Amino acid sequence: MVEIKNLKKIYGERTVLDIPGLEFRDGETAALAGANGSGKTTLLKILAGIIKGSEGGFHIPENVLYMPQSSYAFRGDTLRNITISGADRKEALELLEKLELSHLAGKKAKSLSGGELQRLSLCRVLSRKCDLLLLDEPTSACDAKGAELVIKAIKDYQRESGCTVIMSTHSPLLALNAADRLIILNGGKVETDGSPEETLANPETQWAKSFVAGWKI
Amino acid sequence: MESFRQAFELLFPPDRELLQIIGVTLRMSFFSTLISCLIGLPLGSLIGSKSFRGKSFIKKLIHTLMGLPPVVAGLIVYSLFTHYGPFGKLNMLFTVRVMVVAQVMLITPVVIGLTSSFIESASKPVIETARGLGFSGLKTARLCIGEGRSSLFSVVLNAFGRSIAEVGAVSIVGGNIQWKTRVMTTAIMLETNKGKFSFALALGIILLIIAFAVNAVASFIVKENADG
Repeated sequence: MVEIKNLKKIYGERTVLDIPGLEFRDGETAALAGANGSGKTTLLKILAGIIKGSEGGFHIPENVLYMPQSSYAFRGDTLRNITISGADRKEALELLEKLELSHLAGKKAKSLSGGELQRLSLCRVLSRKCDLLLLDEPTSACDAKGAELVIKAIKDYQRESGCTVIMSTHSPLLALNAADRLIILNGGKVETDGSPEETLANPETQWAKSFVAGWKI
Repeated sequence: MESFRQAFELLFPPDRELLQIIGVTLRMSFFSTLISCLIGLPLGSLIGSKSFRGKSFIKKLIHTLMGLPPVVAGLIVYSLFTHYGPFGKLNMLFTVRVMVVAQVMLITPVVIGLTSSFIESASKPVIETARGLGFSGLKTARLCIGEGRSSLFSVVLNAFGRSIAEVGAVSIVGGNIQWKTRVMTTAIMLETNKGKFSFALALGIILLIIAFAVNAVASFIVKENADG
């Protein structure tokens, strides 16, 4: 169970995140949506322990994995970029196969395209076990095919491990196909919270309505 | 051309005094770079990777010290090691050791400043990725060093370059004593003052060759080790 209570993040005089209360059930997959600067990444980074909240607190499981928005390629080949996380060669190759990157196993990771690198970054994260998986825009650099592979990999991982997944996204495809819940943030606050289908069909607030209208499905 | 001819004549066959001067120059530059890096790399990494109160002030102080005039550093070290100074009893003035001390005072802020800037900017994605994967602090630090070793090596080379080219501080604390504390730069200064411009220029050419050789070897080592 992930439990957030009175969590705030303040930079100077600007409050970028203000969540009085929010809970995520075990095994739930939730998508966080919202305009740029709405607090999605800030929330994920606080839960991942990358940055600290200014006020309030949260309770999360012990094993947490976080995939940043910008994928990083470590030195060396693609395979090493996965085994660096502790996975053995066989596991790494299986993950590469799953994300259709196995033909790039011996290639230098720094030479991969943005979409390939993002899938590689996901492979690296999915090679470890966790109770809470935090993904920051996991399909932002992917094309349609790549996004499909990413969605399938996330769903498979969630099903096999039973972990809770919280991911930020600008993709309605990801929200609809991978998440059981869609939370729309606006100015650091929760604007709407419900099932992706419901939220997209009947947004609760006027702001959410205009935001969802901008999403092309 | 006269300078090139003289430089060639000094090197082939090698002039005994020149070899001694090169030896002192390299010894002084090596040890001052080594000590500066032993102090500066960990401190710079710490400042670059941590957020703490007073960090902004410390960074400003380091940036100021990065521009410390060599003669001022020389004077400070001189006053510390002179006969009546707090370290006068060590009898280190006009030795290579005190020249190393002066160089360390000059170079360490450069190493700290460059390292902290590198860690703050280039290492950020490495740290974020490593922490996201749940790696320990030690493993994260090892990854940062591994990923940024070319940049960190540039910091070391920069320190060495500053050390080998420095003249103000070493001439004050070393005294430019023949067969003892004379280094390439102080020798060049002396020959220039004597009006032997051509000879001074020949020494300058040799200094450049040494600096180039060190950089070339270092770059080769980095390239050999880089596989990314």
